[in-house]
Parts: sequence; structure tokens; C-alpha cells
Amino acid sequence: MNTALSLAEILARPDVWRADRLAGAALPAFSVVPSGFSALDAELPGGGWARGTLAEVLVDDVGLGECALLMPVLGKMREESKWSLLVAPPHLLNGPAWAACNIDLARLAVVSPRRPRDALWAAEQALSSGALGTLLCWATDIDARQVRRLEVAVAGSRTLAFLFRPARARVESSAAPLRLLLSAGGHGMLGVDLLKRRGPPCSRTLHLDLPRPLQWREDYEPAVACTPSAAPCARSQRPLACV
Amino acid sequence: MLLPALTLIARNPAREAAALHTLACWAGGLTPRISLTPDTLLLEIGGCLRLFGGLDKLVAAAQDGVHAQGFTLALAAAPTPMGAQWLARAGSARLCPDGESMRRHLEALPIALLPDKAAAALACFGVRTLGDVRRLPGAALARRIGMETLQLVARAFGEIPDPRADFVFPEQFALPLQLPASVDSAAALLFAARRLTSALAGWLAARQAGVREISLHLQHRQAETVLLLQFVDLTADGGRFERILRERLESLSLKAPVQSLRLQATNVAALAGWNRALFDDAHAEHDAIGALLERLSARLGERQVYRVSAHDDHRPEHATRHAAPFAKSAPGGPVPFPRPLWLLDQPQALADVDGRPWRQGPLKLLAGPERIESGWWDGGEMGSKTGEEMNEEADRKATGDIRRDYFIALSATSCWLWIYRECRTPGGWYVHGFFS
Repeated sequence: MNTALSLAEILARPDVWRADRLAGAALPAFSVVPSGFSALDAELPGGGWARGTLAEVLVDDVGLGECALLMPVLGKMREESKWSLLVAPPHLLNGPAWAACNIDLARLAVVSPRRPRDALWAAEQALSSGALGTLLCWATDIDARQVRRLEVAVAGSRTLAFLFRPARARVESSAAPLRLLLSAGGHGMLGVDLLKRRGPPCSRTLHLDLPRPLQWREDYEPAVACTPSAAPCARSQRPLACV
Repeated sequence: MLLPALTLIARNPAREAAALHTLACWAGGLTPRISLTPDTLLLEIGGCLRLFGGLDKLVAAAQDGVHAQGFTLALAAAPTPMGAQWLARAGSARLCPDGESMRRHLEALPIALLPDKAAAALACFGVRTLGDVRRLPGAALARRIGMETLQLVARAFGEIPDPRADFVFPEQFALPLQLPASVDSAAALLFAARRLTSALAGWLAARQAGVREISLHLQHRQAETVLLLQFVDLTADGGRFERILRERLESLSLKAPVQSLRLQATNVAALAGWNRALFDDAHAEHDAIGALLERLSARLGERQVYRVSAHDDHRPEHATRHAAPFAKSAPGGPVPFPRPLWLLDQPQALADVDGRPWRQGPLKLLAGPERIESGWWDGGEMGSKTGEEMNEEADRKATGDIRRDYFIALSATSCWLWIYRECRTPGGWYVHGFFS
């Protein structure tokens, strides 16, 4: 009787979850920020991006909509008067476009270190300071140990941390509790595969309707089939998930 | 010789006075009323006991501060300045919160604290302590050892007033520090510089001011190295000065041994007070962000940590400005056309297949053209410098006169690009940004 009771108590803890259910059901509402996409929220543990956890976003191409995916949460920081930090972004920021996405430019700082090593140092400092609302870090070359360090730095803080990595990292193990693989979803959508989450595996690809510069029309569909390009080939040759 | 390794160093009154001056500045963090005598620093603490939470806590703060700067301290507290001064000089480390305990402790002090002539005369009468002096009849004693000595004793016991001149905090902060020996390791400099940074923190506290920029001058035998430390925001926090200084000194390689240091506050402004809210910790958060960004820019370089702002300019290269994290910048107006989140540093030439742009397959032009042209006014010239904005980035890209037709394009891999066709010769297609 005693053991059964304590097991029930343990299962009621917010940091304990059963593998067949999504974690975070018991998380308080303020520790989760809705992603702004209901299809994604339904599959994310806790119903949104959880504060204090590291989310890995695996994406190869620039321009798929990887930033538009995070714009709602960055815009949310304006309401909370929190700072956001971009570490080692891939290109120059275009101020007017970020402002047009409802981002508070007065609370958006950018760090562009000269060496990749410094980027990880900066990200770790920023996460352990606990002063940020959101951190976005781009890292092309980062190993499992460094991801683990970032995950430790963010744990316990209230920062939302996103780490952008190339898609080839999907075969590597990672300490990040949430891993997403982005791809072109067709019809102007963004395809999101949840490679890892605190909960049962998500086998289907989510299709998110992101705000695009233009209203989508069917005749926009690129004719991929007749012009084989380098990128889809590389994708098909990539090994499937390894465990 | 008893101790052959002993090195004798002559007492240097000038350096003692300089050290005491530095300490007086530092003590501005404890109390605004300070008085300096040739060998003692007097702090009026009656008015700030509550702020620090009691005499013990204030004394502990003073001791910690002095020890952190590498000084040793003989300290005493008493209701009268003379009393505190004598108790401290006797090395008794007494804290006397009231007149009664002060009198008891003062009476036990030896007469050696009095001026030499009077002390010698009193010793002849067989008087040993200040208590003995007070038991002798005053009028007769005044004739024999002089009125001045008796007045000193009366001041110490609080029987006649003892006004002291306040220490005047210098108008500009520029403190030198002569190092005892030339130093060639940056880590050792940090320890020495701590005296100066804590003096600066005290000076700022006394003036209720903050500083945005300080410079540390490392004086070598021949030349001088200047370290400019900049803060994202007005600050008066000694810990922040020290952290930034550590980052800078760690990355510094000294060309020559350093003989002396000089710390100068170059950009001082009054620090606005704030109300401490019960639950809201916005101010603490603001400080934490400031400290973080400072730390990053101290290690990575100032230009590497920035904020972007939208600027009213139709040319995409000039529509974004980089600013220091807490600098004020006017926001630009909204742009009526879609603009990409990312811009390439340099537009990349695209392949041209049958007159159509090609990037891993043909690009489909979805919208356009949007003509963006002209800009003859800064053709090749450096842009204007305005205030605190870091325009170097923009200057480097001074595009001058342009004439381009911009399109929104979709690649075969479903990436949204912002490309343009150069209208001037030799023409060609370029990718300029990404709608991420």
C-alpha cells in the first residue's frame, strides 16, 4: 500500500513523465509559452515551448521559414519586457523586417563573434546569467558535450533557448530534450518532424502554415520533380534515424 | 644581523597620503561625511547605521572593503572623533556605541597618545593613563602641561565640541597609483587596480553618479598603455568595474613592465534614483542584462555585441543600423513592402540559365519587380557619424548609387529568397536576402 502511494506521488511530480504520454501536463502555465501554431502546440510537451529547456532546430537551408517559426515567441517577449539575444546569426539582420514582425528591437541584442568557439562561450554565459527571455544560437559545428553544457546552463532558468544546427546532426545523440527537423512542407508550408520530445515518438510530419511574404498560390509550387537539384538528393541519401 | 633577509623601506609620507586619499574616495560608498587627518580617516557613521543594518554590519563592510584593497586596518568607533581616533591608534579595535563605554575605554588608554612634550611631563608626575590625567585638578594641570593638551582630552571625552573639516570629494576622478615594484603580469595588475576601482565606486556613490566609460592608464617606463572600459549603461557598481577589467586584462599582453596606474572616469553623469518595488525585479533584471552584454563585449569586442535598429532609408543596406545595446535610437517607419529577415553581407551572384536566375535549380519569381534606385549622395563616401550609433558597418557598405529590380523568388528547395536584377551594366542576377 505504501509503495503504491509513493509511486502515485512520484508520478504526480511535474518532472516525471510516462513515456506513452506527453510530459509537462502538470507544468504551471507560466513556464510554457505557446508557439503560436496550434498544430505544433498540440504535439509539444506542456502545450508550447517550455522555459528552461533547450530546443534544437535542425535545418539546412536558409529561407525555409525557420525564423518565422519562432517569431510568435520572440514577439511575446515584448509583452513580457524580456530581452532576446541572437548568438552568431547566419547573416545580417534586416532591422525593418524584424520590426515588422512585432519584435522589440530595443530589447534584441546580437552577438556575432569572430570564432565559433566564442559563440558557444557567449551562449553559455547568456544562459547561465538567467537574464534573458529568449536565446537563439546558430552553431554549425557543435559536439554532444557542448550541447550538454548549454542544456545544463539553461536548466533552472526561465530562458527559452533554441539552438540551430545543420540537419546532418539528426544522427548524432543530443542532450536537448526537444529536437525538431525542419523541411519544406509543400504548398508553402513548413514541415516539422519532432525527432525527440518528452513523450511518445511523433511519427507524422507537422505542416505549419507560416506567415509568408506573399499569400500562397498553387502555381507557386516549385517544379522539383523535373529539375533534380542537389539538396533533395542529399536528403534522400541521408541515413534514417539511428538510436 | 638578526634577520639578514629583511629589506628596509623608508616611510614615504607622500604615498601614505595618496593611499589615504584613495581610501577616502572609497569610503564615499559608506558615508557621505568623511574627514581626513594626516594619519587617520574619520567617517561620520551616525547617519547611515540604519542603512547598513547596525554598527556591526557597517564595521564588517568597512573591514572587508579595506582588506580587499590589500590594506591592514586599525579601527575603532566612538561618539567623538578624537575618541575614535585615539582608540584606533591604540589598536584596541573598540566599538563604543555610547559615551559611557567610550569613557571607560578611553580612561584605560596610555598617555603616549598625547603630544610628546605633555606626555613626558605627565610621565614625570607618575601619570600613566588618560584616566589618571582626568583625576588631576584641571586648572593646575593646565598651567603645567599647557591648555592645548587638556583641550584635546576634553574633546575626546566629548566635553567641548570638536568640529572637523569635511573631506571634499574631487570634482573629477583621476587617481594615480604608484606600484611598489614594476609589474609584468596582468593578473597582479588586477589586484592593484582594485584599489582604484573601489575608490571610484565610493566616489560615485558619494556623488550619486554613474559612469559610462573609464580609462585605466598603465604607465611603463617609456610609454603608456590605455585600456578603455565602456559600460552599456550608467553604473556605479564596483563589481562590474572589476569584472570588465579582469576580462580586458586577461586578454592583454603587456609590452613592458608597468610602473604605475592611473584610473580616470571620463564619462560621468548623475544616476537617476529608482524606487525599489516589492515584487517587481525589473531593475535587477536590467542590471543583469547590462552586466551580461558588457561581459560579452569585453571578451569578444565592442563591435561584436550590438543591437539593430530600423532606419529610414530605401536602400536595404542602409535600412539597418547597429547601435550600442543601451543607446537610444529613433525607430524607422514601417516599410510597405515585404522585406527579408536576413540580408547577405555582400549580394551573391546567381547563375543565369536562359535569362532566368538559377540557384540549385531555377528560381520562380513570385512578385516584383520592385525598383530600388539612386543614392548618389553617398557614392563611395563615408556616411555621416551620428552620436552613439555605430555606423562603421554601414559605412563599409556605402553602396552609393544603385539601380536594382527586386523580386521575391522561390527556389526549387522551397526557400524564399529576395533577389534582384542589376539594371546597370553588366547586369546579372543577385541574391540579397532570405525570408526565413
